[in-house]
Amino acid sequence: MESWPKARPAVRKKIAIFILIGWALLIIGDRVDELRVYQGAQVAMYTIALASIVLLTGYSGQVSLGNGAMMAVGGYGAALTLNNLGTPIWFAFLMAIVTASLFGALLGAAAARVSGPYLAGTTLALAVGLPAIANQFAFLGGEPGLFFDVGFPPERFGDEFTQYKWFFWIACFIALIALFITSNILSSRFGRTWKAIRGNSLAAELCGVHSSRMKVLAFTVSSGLAGLAGAVLAMTISLVAPGAYGLALSFALVTGAVLAGISSLPGVVLGALILVFIPEISVALADRLGDADKLNNYLPGLIVSVLLILSVIFTPNGPGENLRKHLHKKPAH
Amino acid sequence: MQKVIETLLIGLSTGSIYALMSLALVLVWRSTRVVNFAQAGQAMLSTYIGFEIASRSEIFWLGLVFAIAAGALVGAGVDYFFMRVLFKHATSGPAAVVAPVIATLGLLGLIRSIVGLTWGGEFKSIEAPASTDGFSVGDGTIPFSDLDVLIIATVSIILITVAYIFQRTNLGLALRASAYAPEIAQLAGIRTARTRTIGWSIAGAVGGVAGMLVTSNNFLSPYSLDLLLVFGFIAAVIGGLESMVGSVIGALVLGIGLTFILNYVGTSLVFIGGFSVLILVLLIKPDGIMAKGKARRA
Repeated sequence: MESWPKARPAVRKKIAIFILIGWALLIIGDRVDELRVYQGAQVAMYTIALASIVLLTGYSGQVSLGNGAMMAVGGYGAALTLNNLGTPIWFAFLMAIVTASLFGALLGAAAARVSGPYLAGTTLALAVGLPAIANQFAFLGGEPGLFFDVGFPPERFGDEFTQYKWFFWIACFIALIALFITSNILSSRFGRTWKAIRGNSLAAELCGVHSSRMKVLAFTVSSGLAGLAGAVLAMTISLVAPGAYGLALSFALVTGAVLAGISSLPGVVLGALILVFIPEISVALADRLGDADKLNNYLPGLIVSVLLILSVIFTPNGPGENLRKHLHKKPAH
Repeated sequence: MQKVIETLLIGLSTGSIYALMSLALVLVWRSTRVVNFAQAGQAMLSTYIGFEIASRSEIFWLGLVFAIAAGALVGAGVDYFFMRVLFKHATSGPAAVVAPVIATLGLLGLIRSIVGLTWGGEFKSIEAPASTDGFSVGDGTIPFSDLDVLIIATVSIILITVAYIFQRTNLGLALRASAYAPEIAQLAGIRTARTRTIGWSIAGAVGGVAGMLVTSNNFLSPYSLDLLLVFGFIAAVIGGLESMVGSVIGALVLGIGLTFILNYVGTSLVFIGGFSVLILVLLIKPDGIMAKGKARRA
């Protein structure tokens, strides 16, 4: 309890920073055109999704190759809630977290409990089989999926206020809250315990940490975050369908997280920006190179994979670490 | 009764292909402690090369030989140019443990996009080397065909060859030794890094055969081998990831089980059935069926 009064100013500072960022985002949202606003909403969505990877992989040291599938779980959870119960939007997003966490807890109890590559393989299997599962259950809407409509922006914002700007507002608001909570979790007892398990699980257990339980917990929290991101994604495309949450999305998430430093929470913003602009770069490249059909289908995947491979080989712990190493070396010379 | 027998036979044929994929995964896991998710990509690249040869020469077996060679080359190349560099760079920090797995994921994506850019996304098919008409039994025919016999025979030959290499040759001894205790093997004069590369190339070749056999009665596309990878992984988990015999048994059991689901319940439940098997094995016996009560490594 002694550390509590000390911790409070730090939290207060964090709140101030987050409010400042939110205010800046509001101003930026007013200044840029429709496409950028839409991309802004996507960046916010990826930020949440990447935070789920940072928490899981960067902190607890486990790999999920199917967080895209967990996003789908969240998306379906939110859509079913909104369509069948007619609840307010915020409740649908809450249900996205609840559904995905429950699902993650079940999956984690099987796969995250045992060490080794089991979680990676199980989540990959889930991502591969997602279309088959969505087609199996009629209430999930099969290939075309389910509608997810959060409705028009409130009238008091005026006629100028577009639908995409409304998405942008909601996405940014959710992302800020999610990041705030995640950053607090990561700097809490849980974050430190996860780091300890990642570093040396035997030593952590000797200190009284129940390592398999903590790993399942990490996967559960990470799934909840991914589910929330999945609902935000569903909002921006007004749809939940298996195609939107394919393997490519899971791969992209891992890439984004590795690119920005797998254990750096602020880095997720950079990772999200890169992920949003890769399709744009690839379209520009495809236009220049011709044969647009083939290129459009496979160029984004090629860029993502090459970036992933290069970054995992040369900056496995993120560009930040290399920079720090570089700076530390200099005085020695 | 007849339906039960034909389901068993088809399951055996399906399971034997899974056996090759799970064997490839186990081979790499034992030597490198990485589940090589790029195995599907390597197999896909080899199969596309085999397809190209088979459709030009119109001889399936020539395609298979080329697929094996390509698989071996690609496997060795991945280890030599990729895994070695990776293990040299990613040695410390939060990403050290997870870097190899993530790298195989990147490799899978890379091979997939290269294949997609080269051959396009449309479905290809290889002409089967044998008739796919079922045998006639009594007054009806069963879906078990010449091709299935051929698949089982080919897989048996491959498995016997691999077993021979591992049990009866010096190379096999070196492979087993460097997987079991790399440092001691090195002290005994085995060049473990080179042995590991050979292990990767054997795994690649086996994966190439799996890709060709799956494609002989199915379509080939940049995504068509993903499911094979997943089922191969599930089979390997049933066998405990460590044991080559276990992975083959696991694959046969999985193949037969999934074919029973296919014939008696419906296509749509096959994946869910396989996934449930994975979860059940992890919950009940995470060490696999071949575990002898020793502690899990890694």
